[in-house]
Amino acid sequence: MSDEAAVNKKGLHLGRNIRRFLWTLAGGDAAQFALRTRGGMEHLFILTTMGNMLGIPVPMSYYSLRLLPHVASRIGAWKRWMLRERDFTDTLVSECL
Amino acid sequence: MNSVLIPVLGAIVYIIGMRFYARYIDRKVVGADGRRATPARMYADGVDFMPTPKTILFGYQFKSIAGAAPVLGPIIAIKWGWLPGLLWILLGTLFIGWVQDYMSAMVSMRSDGKTFGGVSFTLISPRARTILLTFIYLYLLLLAASFANTVAKTLADAPRIPLAVVMLALAGVAVGFLIYRGRIQLALVTIIGLALFYGALVLNNYVPVSASWVLWLVFALVFSFFGSVLPIWSFVQPINYLSFYIILFGMAGAVLGILVGHPSLERDAVTGFAAAGDGLPLWPMLFVTIACGAVSGWHGVVSSTGTSRQLENELDTLPVAGGAMFLEMILALIALTIVAITPPDVTGAPGKLFGDGLGRLFGYLYLPESVGRAYGPLMIVILAITLLHLVVRFMRIGTNELLGRAIPIMRVPAIGTLVALLLTFLLAYTGTFNYIWVLFGSANQLMASLALMIASIWLVAERKKVVFAAIPMVLMYVTTMAAIAILSKQLLQQAITGLAPDGKTLTPDKVIGNWVAGVIGVALFVAALILAYDGWQAFVRHRRGQPAPASAAAQ
Repeated sequence: MSDEAAVNKKGLHLGRNIRRFLWTLAGGDAAQFALRTRGGMEHLFILTTMGNMLGIPVPMSYYSLRLLPHVASRIGAWKRWMLRERDFTDTLVSECL
Repeated sequence: MNSVLIPVLGAIVYIIGMRFYARYIDRKVVGADGRRATPARMYADGVDFMPTPKTILFGYQFKSIAGAAPVLGPIIAIKWGWLPGLLWILLGTLFIGWVQDYMSAMVSMRSDGKTFGGVSFTLISPRARTILLTFIYLYLLLLAASFANTVAKTLADAPRIPLAVVMLALAGVAVGFLIYRGRIQLALVTIIGLALFYGALVLNNYVPVSASWVLWLVFALVFSFFGSVLPIWSFVQPINYLSFYIILFGMAGAVLGILVGHPSLERDAVTGFAAAGDGLPLWPMLFVTIACGAVSGWHGVVSSTGTSRQLENELDTLPVAGGAMFLEMILALIALTIVAITPPDVTGAPGKLFGDGLGRLFGYLYLPESVGRAYGPLMIVILAITLLHLVVRFMRIGTNELLGRAIPIMRVPAIGTLVALLLTFLLAYTGTFNYIWVLFGSANQLMASLALMIASIWLVAERKKVVFAAIPMVLMYVTTMAAIAILSKQLLQQAITGLAPDGKTLTPDKVIGNWVAGVIGVALFVAALILAYDGWQAFVRHRRGQPAPASAAAQ
């Protein structure tokens, strides 16, 4: 690499580093908070879905009972949706239009 | 002396410190190894442990450690002259400050990302963790009281800025909703937020808003209440985001003003051993008045909690932790320069001094001096209040942690916050600012010496050279204990006699304030004695290669 190219490359790094530094000072904590929140939600998802399988005593019946008042009014509709007969024309609206 | 020399001296110390001394310690003594896996890489859980590039992590570290303290400390310390403050900032950072920041991150990283509490449990003793966490809570209380007092007094003295501060809160809330709920482009939202803020500042210039400092104290605490209980994205983050630009513009103007105008320093280099006004002695009080900017225990807490868990390579520890400390030194030097160029007959609260200096510097940039005189106190208030609501949030969590099991209602965020704010109000309302600030500084510096103690014990346990950490630790410990002892004695004496140092009778609220602050000082003194005793026992034990009592207790 020529001397000029090396200086140019160093200058590019300095500019990029200063921009990164200023960005972090301005809003980096907000971005990091969003990442941590997402990470926390992923951990919670794994705990609730896989916890019992992985040996963590997650009392699913307890959490199900806690959620029951919020879903009770929809259970009838949910049953009808789960058990309804389907054929390929059902996908016309959801997949094609 | 030409004011440009101060930042130039800072740059020289930065280069010498980072390039030679710090690098030698990092490579030859501690032995940072780029091939060793860091906790961030080993665990990478996406929540606490996240490998982060050093340039971004440097920004996080600097933002976490640099607040109002590196600006306020040098302003308050001008009462001894500018030379003692300059020497302490330069030499303190070079031999103590960066060591504390760097070693806190390194010890935590080499201990699987454990915090101070966890490391002290393992290295020293189980009770060391409890005492340290209680110590940190008292420190946060003093910090909150100091900054709340600063905000209240500065707003009371500067009637042309309160509207802008209130608008900052409102604009911040609006910005938060526009970004996260409205999904509006960030640049546009930023312009809207800043336009609202500067519009309010211009309006306030024509319509001054005066109120008592008690009312502004309540305002600061209400502001902090919302910061503590509301979701962080809706209040704290957008307000701090807008504040960044306001502070950046001010500091950029100050630096340009120094370079363009290069004014002479007007203040005396040294005024005497006893400070003008309150008569506090230069030693040990200077060393606890200027904390951040030279050495600060808060940096150790930050380094050992967030930073150590994000370092993706051990070789990044020095540029991130050490480098951020050296940069904060530059910030403190700029603040020192700003106040040192003001004439000696300019006296008053820190905000007034800072504003006067900033006004002069803005004048060299062909801006009206009145702009700087308003912008200076505004920067002090914003720096203090943006940290205050984070500290109260932290205190709320601390209240939950320390009292939540014994008193379940403390787990309710609003209740925990109210407890923290009531204590803060009590201390800020009844205490004398100078004493509260120095007590806060003492607690801060004592925490730094405890961080250096943990680092020294770790170095001994690892069979490494310990002198570079142990000598600063002893110096800081002796100095801060002396400061706390002198201060507690003065406070309790005044509380018992009911007389101020000038012989005037204290009002009942000031007597209460002196009792509260004096008792806190004694509590800190006793806690530090116990920690030093346990620390010495641990030091001797590790030198003999014996296991720590914590591991035996755990079994």
